[in-house]
Amino acid sequence: MKKTILITLSLVLLTACSVQKPLYTWSNYTNSSYNYLKNSDEKSTEELIKTYQEIIEKQKGSRGVVPPGIYADYGFILLQANKTAEGKAMLMQEIALYPESRIFIERILKMTEK
Amino acid sequence: MKKSTIIFVLITAFFYSCSTTNQSVLKSEAYKGMYAEKPLTVLLMPPINKTTSVEAKEYFHSTLNVPIANAGFYVIPTFLSMEILKRESAYDAELFLNSPLTKFGEVFGADVALFTIIHQWDKTYGMVYVEVEYIIKSIKTNEILYSRKGQINYNTNVQVSGGGLAGALISVAATAINTAATKYVDVARIANTYTFKDLPKGKYSPVNPKESSEYAGPKEFKVNLNSQYR
Repeated sequence: MKKTILITLSLVLLTACSVQKPLYTWSNYTNSSYNYLKNSDEKSTEELIKTYQEIIEKQKGSRGVVPPGIYADYGFILLQANKTAEGKAMLMQEIALYPESRIFIERILKMTEK
Repeated sequence: MKKSTIIFVLITAFFYSCSTTNQSVLKSEAYKGMYAEKPLTVLLMPPINKTTSVEAKEYFHSTLNVPIANAGFYVIPTFLSMEILKRESAYDAELFLNSPLTKFGEVFGADVALFTIIHQWDKTYGMVYVEVEYIIKSIKTNEILYSRKGQINYNTNVQVSGGGLAGALISVAATAINTAATKYVDVARIANTYTFKDLPKGKYSPVNPKESSEYAGPKEFKVNLNSQYR
């Protein structure tokens, strides 16, 4: 009986301390977004693009979808590199996945047409 | 570097989940507005920088979207919103902290705005100090729905003596932080991990019916991390 209580208690403790599987995986986002902000050169931009592609293609989070803002920010980087068609396509993907982004993203799409 | 940072964050998260909280206020009471409004879309306001470190603002800005998204919210795209706020001369969030936010709702479609105030971001004698205040305001009602302030003091003089596996892990993580060029940002990330652990989960997170009856963490917290921390 005492043993059962002990086991139950330790199980409860362990559960309370366990770390759940995250909603999203972010690949190397932490480092590459920092480096991009810090250097904004060709190398750090390429690295960030690679990270975006990995987040999109190798998503292993519990939701199984790309995290908020990733398609849109990737699209933004593509637009800045004058890859307009690809960039716009990414922005559209953001709206498709997260309809709550429509107000903001449509504003950006309009700006690209000017 | 990446792996050890994750391990370090995990360790701190682990300790936090096991640590005692402010045993007096329930989350349902402390974050009443969050439960009432159930915001979905979060706009990250450019951090308000009260320090002399000019780079703190942008770097800290870039650390905020991941924890908020992981808590189940929609975060307005970081780089894109940064660019627009700069273009619209709205890059100084201090101007908006105490004024109506309706304009941000119209432009970004956001439900809430996350203001952050960097109070401390410096380093002396092998210590890194980061102190940040977090304020989530409703764009609709202008009410404060969530606010916490945290100070992380990180001792970079790593001297691990013994301590078994935990000590070894901390030593590895600490050395990574020690040698990385990003040490402020890493310490700031730990502050984020601590504060947003308490944030009521958003729409995209699995529902936890017991969450609102958990105790809320202290409104102001202070964490000292060093090689003795185990």
